[in-house]
Amino acid sequence: MTHWARRFDIAGQAPLITLMALCVVTTLLTDRFLSPLNLTNILVQSSIMAVIALGMTFVIIGGGFDLSVGSTVALAGCIAAMVMVKFGIAAGVLAGVATGAAVGLVNGLIIAKLGVNPFITTLGTMVLVRGLVFLVTGGAPVGDDGLPAAFIAFGSERFLGIHYLVWVPAILLVALSFVMHMTPYGRRIYATGGNREAAYLSGVPVDRIVASTYVWCGALAGVAGVMLAARLQSGQPTAGEFYELTAIAAVVLGGAALHGGEGTLYKTVIGVFIMIVLGNSLNLLNVDSYWQRVAVGAVIIAAAAADRLRSR
Amino acid sequence: MTTPAASARGIFKHFGATQALDNVDFEMSHGEIHALVGENGAGKSTLVRILGGVHRPDQGEIAIEGRTCHFGSPHDAIAAGVATIPQELRLIPAFSVAENLTLSEPPVRRVAGVPLVDRARMRQQALAQLAELDFTPDPDQRVDRLSFAERQLVAIAKALRQRCRLLILDEPTAALETREIERLFAVLARMKNQGTAIVYVSHRLDEVVALADRCTVLRDGRVAAMRRRGEFRVSDLVQAMTGRAETDVVTDALSPGAVLLEDAVDRADAVRVRSREVVGLAGLLGSGTDRVLRRLFGVSHQHRPVSVNGKPQRLSHPTAAIRAGIGMVPGERRLGLVMSLPVRDNILLPSLDRLTRGGMIDRAAGDRLVAELMELLDIRPRNPSLRASALSGGNQQKVILAKWLARKVGVLLLDEPTQGVDVAAKAQIHTLIRKFAADGGGVLVSSSDLAELTRICDSIWTLHQGTITARISRVEGFDEKRLHAAIGG
Repeated sequence: MTHWARRFDIAGQAPLITLMALCVVTTLLTDRFLSPLNLTNILVQSSIMAVIALGMTFVIIGGGFDLSVGSTVALAGCIAAMVMVKFGIAAGVLAGVATGAAVGLVNGLIIAKLGVNPFITTLGTMVLVRGLVFLVTGGAPVGDDGLPAAFIAFGSERFLGIHYLVWVPAILLVALSFVMHMTPYGRRIYATGGNREAAYLSGVPVDRIVASTYVWCGALAGVAGVMLAARLQSGQPTAGEFYELTAIAAVVLGGAALHGGEGTLYKTVIGVFIMIVLGNSLNLLNVDSYWQRVAVGAVIIAAAAADRLRSR
Repeated sequence: MTTPAASARGIFKHFGATQALDNVDFEMSHGEIHALVGENGAGKSTLVRILGGVHRPDQGEIAIEGRTCHFGSPHDAIAAGVATIPQELRLIPAFSVAENLTLSEPPVRRVAGVPLVDRARMRQQALAQLAELDFTPDPDQRVDRLSFAERQLVAIAKALRQRCRLLILDEPTAALETREIERLFAVLARMKNQGTAIVYVSHRLDEVVALADRCTVLRDGRVAAMRRRGEFRVSDLVQAMTGRAETDVVTDALSPGAVLLEDAVDRADAVRVRSREVVGLAGLLGSGTDRVLRRLFGVSHQHRPVSVNGKPQRLSHPTAAIRAGIGMVPGERRLGLVMSLPVRDNILLPSLDRLTRGGMIDRAAGDRLVAELMELLDIRPRNPSLRASALSGGNQQKVILAKWLARKVGVLLLDEPTQGVDVAAKAQIHTLIRKFAADGGGVLVSSSDLAELTRICDSIWTLHQGTITARISRVEGFDEKRLHAAIGG
């Protein structure tokens, strides 16, 4: 009883309350918000960002930070498209996800083993990977006309009335929440992010745990890259710019601590919805796109400030 | 009646459920050394932090030179003339002696109206200030190149430059050698003659008897005694601190069994722990007692071979040590606990692999184990979902012990196991340590508190500069003088 009461404390539900308030206000201001087309749009837009943000949550709970996911999305999407044209869907998807995981592994090894600051490391890989994307593609979209029809269908069609793209984060959320909460590995990520030294002295292989969170993050950015390629029906070398910032903002809006050790995957997904719904409602209300950026930036700072005030 | 240099009246302070200070009065006169003693957790540090502006009292009044002060921050306290010299000196390692000394008000010269640091005058001022302490280092030397004792003198000189009228020294001799202690005492005597009021917090009662003009004993957050020079001896202080006569603690003798853990190569700090045995490591701060424990737990880089239960092992990582049946309670609680996680997760952290069935944590078994241990160790409140940060120091320390009992280790390495723990919890932890040994475990415990070691250990090994200087068993009798001599204090 008390257990559940504690689990659903009001302060802990701030992200959900924020999201609902946002939806209510937008509904009152415009009747276009609740239209089926708009809601579907929000779900599909959120799906790709949610996959990236889930990976980011692993890294942030583990006490790290990853700026390279946006570039990784582009690289994974382009590599997936290139491989798919030649070797088919399965090989393409695998290549995309493996590309993401490889970028994550490089980040993880540099950060965990060499002890380089995560901000600097992933800032470096962000630029480096974007360079690789242009080298690999020559700057032009990949596979615009040669992608398999089934793959393009995956990017636009529905299963049981819901877009395939939306099923991906839904299934991932359930599976990864299980990993986070039910397996020793998941608990060790929380312990490492909460206090790396104490976790180390309790026998947790902290270097491996930290490195693994970046591999998750990279692999999930790879999945997002493949999803984006399916939606855009091609690999776009300029895709994914600023995705890292939206993903980090979503994780923070979801209540995770940037210093690590705290956070919940489903709340990150709520954070993603807040970001996407905010953009969507500003669009519906015809707010100037420059002002939209100002508003989104202000919301991120306000959320972080509210969190600080609450924890005092 | 003359106005005291500083006074604290009717001070109350609580942290969570713990009443750290309970109506405490404390007074310091000009040109007086006033010692503050008490067991770990008696409230000394809390009182010192209130005087230094770190904590605000719940109730009560602080007055400096008769004027009531409300310190909102350490900065306010320094401005009012209260300087604290903590154990961890607050100097900037990469700055020179002169830069550190003049940090708060560097001498300035103006070039075309732009204020620049006047390095020549900075050096002069620093040297003049240090000369008052009869200490003449190179003012351009980086402070991280100085010895601890020298850094301490720099910190005191810095306090004097900030015109401090009340100097608080927290365990100033914990890391000093005999010669350095003598020099510090000479400096304190000089300052005292110049009218500075000095608060001297120490565990070393013989020093207190030799040095202090007055002594206040705290116990459980209250003033247990206040005596003037000549009115107290070490045994009086111990009795006031513990509330009982010194001899009244009895430790059941155990008959040690097989060797559980020993260094396999000959070295200056080689140790050996047997089953049914508590071995104490005594030494000054920096003598290497903590290094011995960290080495045996696989933390240091020099992992020399050891033998565990007669089998040769190389402990290169805590994971290896834990697998070999060794657990360590680190000297700082922040290294022992993940404060953001619940008590349950903290207790189970080293045992997760043992509680896993088919890739999943067996929650029911984990909860049972946690409930059992919280009962056994009397961890309060009895709520496994509470964050570790919400517990009192004593309960946090018990959670750290519970981690290793959950793992069922054979050897416990304890570094300052009762630091900052209240008296009741301290007694419980001592009982637990004895019980762990009586049940067949081996314990290696390092503590700066000799009284604690003489209470719980079967034998005490002393370390001086990384070398074991004496091994004294309970049967021979723990002679305080001999122990002090052996640790070089």
